[in-house]
Amino acid sequence: MTPPDISKLIVRTSLRDRAAFDLLYRQTSAKLFGVCLRVLNDRAEAEEALQEVYVKIWTKADRFAVSDLSPISWLVAVARNHAIDRIRARRMKQTGLDEAAEIADPTPGPEALAVAGDESARIHLCLDELDADRAAAVRGAYLVGESYAELAERHGVPLNTMRTWLRRSLMKLKDCLQR
Amino acid sequence: MTPTDHHEPELGGDEALAAEYVLGVLPASERRDVAARIETDAAFARLVDEWEARLSPLGDFYAPVDAPAAIKQALDRRLFASAAQPVPAERASWWNSLGLWRGLAAASVVALVLVVGWNLQPPVEEAPSPRLVASLENPETDVRYLALYDEANATISLSRIDGAAAADQDFELWVIEGDEPPASLGVLADGDNLEVRPSEALRAKFAAGAVLAVSLEPKGGSPTGLPTGPVVALGDLRSI
Repeated sequence: MTPPDISKLIVRTSLRDRAAFDLLYRQTSAKLFGVCLRVLNDRAEAEEALQEVYVKIWTKADRFAVSDLSPISWLVAVARNHAIDRIRARRMKQTGLDEAAEIADPTPGPEALAVAGDESARIHLCLDELDADRAAAVRGAYLVGESYAELAERHGVPLNTMRTWLRRSLMKLKDCLQR
Repeated sequence: MTPTDHHEPELGGDEALAAEYVLGVLPASERRDVAARIETDAAFARLVDEWEARLSPLGDFYAPVDAPAAIKQALDRRLFASAAQPVPAERASWWNSLGLWRGLAAASVVALVLVVGWNLQPPVEEAPSPRLVASLENPETDVRYLALYDEANATISLSRIDGAAAADQDFELWVIEGDEPPASLGVLADGDNLEVRPSEALRAKFAAGAVLAVSLEPKGGSPTGLPTGPVVALGDLRSI
């Protein structure tokens, strides 16, 4: 069987087509489980989050039609945002930022960069135009959902400084991607 | 980090908020506020969407990890449990899918009986031997088999229309008679045309109204003697 177009599966899911939803799950759950695991770094919590993500996909699949994102990017965005909401809620319960210091530098290694497709090339060229530690902060925030507070702790700067650096980096990134 | 250049432009206002939301750096309370605003402010939602698109290539770095099969079963219970018929708790996962799809399979078999019955019509001179057919399917999967049971030579002929088990899993065939627990007819070899010869004890279960089912099992078949994985296809046996 040829892999059906993920876009069509999302649209059919929005029409409450369970067969399409089942197929969508089979084709995409490994990727979205990868997202949940990376952000939450806890298997049991990632499993719970994955279920919630697909509940959202089932109930909000109609939103895909008004998005400019590719189908897989839309699904990843749903999973990422949900996992980040979960980790924010979890970390709020913790007393301090001790754990943040233990988070490994999430900057991808060379082998990971080689795996990324052509579409990634442009954003990485643009990230390379930033100072290395600022690029690392952007990647770290995106991939594992680090908060401003955690980034500030890990990079050893005040929170406001981190916010300024990140907003400047985002501005440069936007300009570079528009070139 | 390098010293801050105070003339460097920085993202501001809603655009900054949208980018920070997408990046994931905001605290929980601000994330809730932004999420609520996305629902009501179309222009702001568009800014968020644009930032999702800009940063989405970073998502390539998420390596896929297979999720345990139990997650999909739990998800289905969560989303669709109200559609299932009440069942004894100890066999809930099995009978849920059975009860739910039995009716659908029965409907499709009517059309099948006409087609298969026509093709397999024996010459009129021969004494007809009892035959049963079933269309095995489940709208949730792409797995589909046609089954023909011929009592004269005690053989089930299976024709695979679509679907295959993953490399590290097997399909297992089951017969269910009345309220009896499913009885295994063995693991299905990976082929489009198969023959299964049930034991004499199992042949007694073959009657109109019995159900054939295919479940997804660990390599080599169910370790418990009862289906442990999802039922990927099933159908009622009908006389032709």
